Amino acid sequence: KLIPVAQYGGRHAVTMLPGGGIGPECMGYVRDIFKYIGAPVDFELVDIDPNVDNDDDVQYAITTIKRNGVGLKGNIETKSEAAYVTSRNVALRNELDMYAYVLNCKSYPGVSTRHKDIDVVIIRQNTEGEYAMLEHESVRGVIESMKVVTASNSERVARFAFEFAKRNGRKKVTTVHKANIMKLSDGLFLETSRRLAEEYPEIEHNDMIIDNCCMQLVARPHQFDVMLMTNLYGSIVSNVVCGLLGGAGLLSGRNYGDHYAVFEPGTRNTGTAIAGKNIANPIAMINASVDMLEHLGHHFHADLIRRAVNKTINVDKVLTPDVGGTASSSEVVNNIMGNIGRC
Amino acid sequence: RAGTAQYSTGVRKVTLIPGHGIGPEITVAVQKIFEAAKVPIEWDEVDVTAVRGPDGKFGIPQRAIDSVNENKIGLKGPLMTPVGKGYRSLNLALRKEFDLYANVRPCKSLDGIKTLYDNVDVVTIRENTEGEYSGIEHEIVDGVVQSIKLITEEASKRVAQFAFQFARDNKRKKVTAVHKANIMRMSDGLFLRCCRDLATQYPDVKFEERYLDTVCLNMVQDPSKFDVLVMPNLYGDIMSDMCSGLVGGLGLTPSGNIGKNGALFESVHGTAPDIAGKDMANPTALLLSAIMMLRHLQLNEHADKVQNACYEVLREGKSLTGDLGGTGKCSEYTNAIISKLN
Ligand SMILES: Nc1ncnc2c1ncn2[C@@H]1O[C@H](COP(=O)(O)OP(=O)(O)OP(=O)(O)O)[C@@H](O)[C@H]1O
Ligand SMILES: Nc1ncnc2c1ncn2[C@@H]1O[C@H](COP(=O)(O)OP(=O)(O)OP(=O)(O)O)[C@@H](O)[C@H]1O
Ligand SMILES: [Mg+2]
Ligand SMILES: [Mg+2]
Repeated sequence: KLIPVAQYGGRHAVTMLPGGGIGPECMGYVRDIFKYIGAPVDFELVDIDPNVDNDDDVQYAITTIKRNGVGLKGNIETKSEAAYVTSRNVALRNELDMYAYVLNCKSYPGVSTRHKDIDVVIIRQNTEGEYAMLEHESVRGVIESMKVVTASNSERVARFAFEFAKRNGRKKVTTVHKANIMKLSDGLFLETSRRLAEEYPEIEHNDMIIDNCCMQLVARPHQFDVMLMTNLYGSIVSNVVCGLLGGAGLLSGRNYGDHYAVFEPGTRNTGTAIAGKNIANPIAMINASVDMLEHLGHHFHADLIRRAVNKTINVDKVLTPDVGGTASSSEVVNNIMGNIGRC
Repeated sequence: RAGTAQYSTGVRKVTLIPGHGIGPEITVAVQKIFEAAKVPIEWDEVDVTAVRGPDGKFGIPQRAIDSVNENKIGLKGPLMTPVGKGYRSLNLALRKEFDLYANVRPCKSLDGIKTLYDNVDVVTIRENTEGEYSGIEHEIVDGVVQSIKLITEEASKRVAQFAFQFARDNKRKKVTAVHKANIMRMSDGLFLRCCRDLATQYPDVKFEERYLDTVCLNMVQDPSKFDVLVMPNLYGDIMSDMCSGLVGGLGLTPSGNIGKNGALFESVHGTAPDIAGKDMANPTALLLSAIMMLRHLQLNEHADKVQNACYEVLREGKSLTGDLGGTGKCSEYTNAIISKLN
């Protein structure tokens, strides 16, 4: 084997939450690759049963992430439509206070898409806003759903965005909002980012209304650099950009708080319909695992995988059907493993 | 369908709100084209610059309200709304005042407009009276703000019903309910349940439910997956703008606000202050809105006539405005359409 054993640093324990749909199979590929290259990571597997109505599994998952500091996850389903059952994904992010979500969106030249050379970073408030999950039925047939925006969380995520831009040599931050309608909540978010922008005079700051932003994204995506927004707009914009770059199967996203980090496929899809058919694109989850290795400081192993993935997509063009290829999931994974250490 | 004022001559009186920014220029364009096409319409022009009412709040002038109440139908340019402060959106006030509960926004690829997407043909139907636009917001303590999204069974049902009926009347195949009930379990959950209920009354129309984010993902990859979409207020706002991006921009997409007490047709775009007063605006969106209005009034022959002239000018591509990559002025484009009418 061309692969050196890890001789530096310690081994890391990482919580693995496969979730539903294509999660388990994608996690299997990650484990195969990690084993193959001898990545110094031990996974602690936690399965969450989507059919139970209580939160015991989720609480256990949260405890293990608190212990390990880092997690790799698929999308956890919440099958129940009962109102008192909260989304597990939201509970996890909130309890771990992972207030910032980062999605790097860079075109792969090997994937044929309408727009070429897109390179934007989406930074999303990840713990409040429209995902506050505070709802009630005032009288029968009348429901109020609360969107909560706080100055402190707006400031944390805005600072995260500007720091990110500064450290990564980015030129511009665009705050996305709907402050013409939600004057107080989105107004607070916008005001806060404007205030922080003044501390970063070297970075250009502008703002855009969410509907116009989506239109601009599909028509002229190259005008964007770093984008900053509240939770729901983040979900929308992430999916629009992932769609432009080739779909749900490619990009990975990162949840950050002050203490914990969790890595997952960028659009947080479950992929129920394609599960178990050996057709799901494994790249998004593999990219999430690369992000995780980077975060843990295992740059050597991260780089090995990243180069093998890039060659598979851009040079070998071994691709699953969702990005225009004919390969199965396992063929893509085998091709990646074949490239490791050879590119 | 709302009743409309009728005259013995067959001329319909229609409220005209030119609006702000590029509004007046594109309104004049539509008026000229309609005049040339001998459309039997008499415009009742009103101004809706915000006025301070007896309660001290800014709102729509009484004259405008009276006019819409009398005519039951109107054409409207964009209105200016200040960001982050000041009075509430007048667009919103108008929709509320006349209970225009369904906002219909067709997005269709046009011959001659080259975009990265061909064959887009989707109609978003947006709940138009509540949701995130309830305007109920407050600061609970310093630095903590709440905005309330209001979803009612009544409003959800009637917009769902509208969507299915629209699909049936227009020979559409499918209605997709767009929601986020995995997160907003009660509010979007209620909206979704209302759609499911109505779906059972329209067995001839296919029904599917999709998450908002998944629709965004799929829409930019393959818009042909969708037909008629129905959704709460904010999602509809965002989705319809995005769809207009697929077919060539805001300069092209019309809309109709339809309710029990009347109907108001308007372009989806805003006031475009950057190009206002420069004879640069594209009047197509407002013109197509006016054509929707003609169809609503069952003036289908006139609608076809104007629409054909408009489509022909777009197809020829000679006098397109700047937003479509042309160098034509608003007035030149207007004249080109008029010359096709003759
Ligand atoms: N890894 C992947 N490879 C290929 N396609 C994918 C992948 N992940 C998601 N998709 C596709 O992206 C779309 C959205 O994903 P998904 O099925 O999760 O939708 P959803 O609306 O979240 O529904 P559900 O919760 O039932 O899975 C689907 O068409 C799915 O097939
Ligand atoms: N009819 C049109 N013709 C040409 N360009 C247009 C037209 N409508 C919109 N645009 C372009 O799209 C941009 C965004 O449009 P829009 O006016 O909807 O948003 P806005 O500038 O935020 O205005 P508002 O605050 O009134 O919503 C404008 O700056 C303008 O350049
Ligand atoms: Mg999903
Ligand atoms: Mg809009």
